[in-house]
Amino acid sequence: MTETIVELRNITKRFPGIVANDDVTLDIRKGEIFALLGENGAGKSTLMSILFGMYEPDEGQIFVRGEEVHLTSSKDAAALNIGMVHQHFKLVSNYTITENIVLGDEPLKHFGPLSWVDLKGASKKIRALSLEYGLEVNPDDKIEDLQVSTQQRVEILKMLYRDAEILIFDEPTSVLTPQEIEYLLDIMEELRRGGKTIILITHKLEEIKRVADRCAILLHGKLVGVYDVATTTTQRMANLMVGKELDTTLDKTEHGFGEVVLDVSDLTVYNEHKVKVVDNVSLRVRQGEILAIAGVSGNGQVDIADAIAGLQHISAGSISLKGEEISRLSIKERIARGISYIPEDRQKDGLVMDLTLRDNLAIKTFDREPFAKKGVLQPEAFEQQATDLIERYDIRSGQGSQTMTRSMSGGNQQKAIIAREVELDSDLLIFVQPTRGLDVGAIANIHQQILEQRDKGKAVLLVSLELDEVLALADTICVAFRGQILKTDSAKNLSKEEVGQYMMGVTQ
Amino acid sequence: MKKFITRVRSALSGLLVPSISIALTLIVASVIVLLLGKNPLEVFLGFLRGSGLVFKPRYAGGQGILTDFFSYLSILTPMIFASLGVMMGLRAGLFNIGVAGQMLLPGFLASVFVGYSDLPTYLAWPLVIIIGLVAGGAMGALIGFLKHRFNIHEVVTSIMLNYIISYVTAFFINTYFADPVTRNSRPVSEASRLLIPGQAGGVRFDLPVGLVVALLVIFVMRFLLDRTTVGFRINAVGLNKDCARYAGINVGNNVVLAMAMSGMLAGLAGITYYLGFANNMVPKELVSLGYDSIAVAVLGNVAPVGCLFASILVTIFQKGSVYMSSNVGVPKDIASVIIGILLMFSASGLYIEETLQRLKRTPRSKRGAKTDTDKAEEERV
Ligand SMILES: Nc1ncnc2c1ncn2[C@@H]1O[C@H](COP(=O)(O)OP(=O)(O)OP(=O)(O)O)[C@@H](O)[C@H]1O
Ligand SMILES: [Mg+2]
Repeated sequence: MTETIVELRNITKRFPGIVANDDVTLDIRKGEIFALLGENGAGKSTLMSILFGMYEPDEGQIFVRGEEVHLTSSKDAAALNIGMVHQHFKLVSNYTITENIVLGDEPLKHFGPLSWVDLKGASKKIRALSLEYGLEVNPDDKIEDLQVSTQQRVEILKMLYRDAEILIFDEPTSVLTPQEIEYLLDIMEELRRGGKTIILITHKLEEIKRVADRCAILLHGKLVGVYDVATTTTQRMANLMVGKELDTTLDKTEHGFGEVVLDVSDLTVYNEHKVKVVDNVSLRVRQGEILAIAGVSGNGQVDIADAIAGLQHISAGSISLKGEEISRLSIKERIARGISYIPEDRQKDGLVMDLTLRDNLAIKTFDREPFAKKGVLQPEAFEQQATDLIERYDIRSGQGSQTMTRSMSGGNQQKAIIAREVELDSDLLIFVQPTRGLDVGAIANIHQQILEQRDKGKAVLLVSLELDEVLALADTICVAFRGQILKTDSAKNLSKEEVGQYMMGVTQ
Repeated sequence: MKKFITRVRSALSGLLVPSISIALTLIVASVIVLLLGKNPLEVFLGFLRGSGLVFKPRYAGGQGILTDFFSYLSILTPMIFASLGVMMGLRAGLFNIGVAGQMLLPGFLASVFVGYSDLPTYLAWPLVIIIGLVAGGAMGALIGFLKHRFNIHEVVTSIMLNYIISYVTAFFINTYFADPVTRNSRPVSEASRLLIPGQAGGVRFDLPVGLVVALLVIFVMRFLLDRTTVGFRINAVGLNKDCARYAGINVGNNVVLAMAMSGMLAGLAGITYYLGFANNMVPKELVSLGYDSIAVAVLGNVAPVGCLFASILVTIFQKGSVYMSSNVGVPKDIASVIIGILLMFSASGLYIEETLQRLKRTPRSKRGAKTDTDKAEEERV
């Protein structure tokens, strides 16, 4: 069991303006679940991308099964039975599952000089694998029709299909619901039983506690140490990760609410497939109130948020902001009336990945003073805002305001969105999954900020899949189920168990 | 496609990678010329001579290097406009492949309404320019509108429009405006042509008025894209439509606007071509310049000043090919081949950049072997 399968020796990787990995030495044993922990931007994804052949290290050596290897592409890694599920999936959305899985390594059938891709055979093999590991999928479905969790299963199957022995998971759970996370962790344990070696990057300490054998902690690119999970408390891990005593207690003071800011009544929304996703929903958020919509993913929460922000067309009902009906207004007008929105999908909706951080921070305000005067952009104003937000929200990147957003770590991208939206100083803030992909320190920070906004008298609408987050922050909780609000009550009157029950559609 | 363009852009943003693309193109072109049994140096010299950049051994009476050079400038002008047109579309995430058609229609209309009239220059020029802007802009806007409103791909619409326009204009030229001898359209009046005839030391030449406009437009476009809210919106829409929408930018309006501008630039290319460099139209013919401008825009890194430099380069091949072929004996189609190779290498900017980085990291001892395989790979492409 203690045979070493991967050894990273003195790995250093520099990017412009930053040392992403600084002399990291690690050994990973065959058949273990090895966790990698560290703040946003600590260099976890980079280190694993090196092992997966996507980046070449500037210094250092890699040994796989005792032999030194030079990986120049992910093909080299695949040849060594290394597979990786990336933080942001890499699937072709209008291809089927089978096509995606065989892509780049197509099984060919020959007939004389002719050859073609044997999709039938591949599909059969995929079905067999999916049964073996409990990864339920239908190989003929198209990626674009799948839920995120299923897409992830496809990524896992893709590794298994290529006979991967060393499986790297980069924040696999940040896109999953709590139920799906349980399921995934079970699968990982199953894979370990099957003799696979797993490297798991995650920000959730409970997950490490639950499945991992050992845990390496990175801080600012350097290895802090490798710890036995069984004998290390989560608090200790968190402290090591941030390099200081981490205080995650929230000071939430009770106070009354002001006037109604958001008033949604009888809202009904159909999605693009003509399916009713929001069904006659009414809710009100007052000044100084955090109203959280709890619910299992896909029960219409995000559609409610989209409808309020103007991204989704509504078919019935009304939405009023500070007494003014806004459901007919354009997105731009709604922003101007005072709506901030942290969207669910940060790379698709929240950011333009190929613009600089500076431009992204101003993407909603670029045409207002002081960012533009008579239609002419004022770079100094962009720069000033960026420097200020980077500092206050601790957005870490290689080249400061000029960093291309694409090269930033996932968590820091999220921080950039939050900084931009909070800075709009809107009366209503809609947060959808605000702490997805953030490290524990950053989460505490964001929670504190949400509470600050509330204390400043803002109305906050929070959509979160994480019950703990809902319970920690909310003044009022709505539970969404199949597009309806099953229950609305003051957070004080609801226990975790009760909310959980409503989430499953149980109404006593 | 869009992502590909962005990635290629970032690779081409320095000077090194485009220089390598150009060098590789020249190498491959030389190999082809050698295979044809000719001397590559003579071929390149031929291009330069034909473009008025190097003295020819002999000139016909009344002609000189300046004649060739200004003729080069007058074909450079539509090339600049056309590549700016392609660039504008790409910036908004649209591939305007129909520049040739968007040149022909304005060229045709301007010829018919102004070129065949006897309006004096001071009226003709502004009218020609206005027709170029309006007709080209309308076509571009239509493509943008169809794309946004009905999600019809711009490549499809622009190719279909190209056909429609080339046939419709051919019909009118053949029935009403044909020159009985050449069967091309009748030449436009000298007063309407965007050229100022000049003479120096007994050598005649034509100064292209449009070039001044083109240089001006380059800087206007640069300012517009980099420093104004209009440009910011178009860039955002081109790079990520979803995020642009989320941020309150009207995606449809901006797609139509960018395509209208793209069409206007193509329109300017059209009038400076058909009422400048040339003075008539060949029925059914869409000028190859309209398609070459795609290569130029990509090589120019989809940026205004880049388009200028890329146009200067590519036009040498275009303009110089006739002289080169009659003097060196290599078919003039080699110019299109070279431009094609150039497009391919500029589109491989990303690959070139990555190879460079790999070379930088590879220890010296291994470098020899690596370069060889890389070269082999490039040959294969
Ligand atoms: N391609 C790149 N170009 C430039 N800088 C990069 C690139 N990739 C990563 N970086 C920088 O390297 C640092 C480490 O990034 P990395 O993605 O490894 O962080 P991480 O630990 O995975 O963080 P997170 O938890 O937020 O995902 C970051 O500061 C990031 O900005
Ligand atoms: Mg990461």
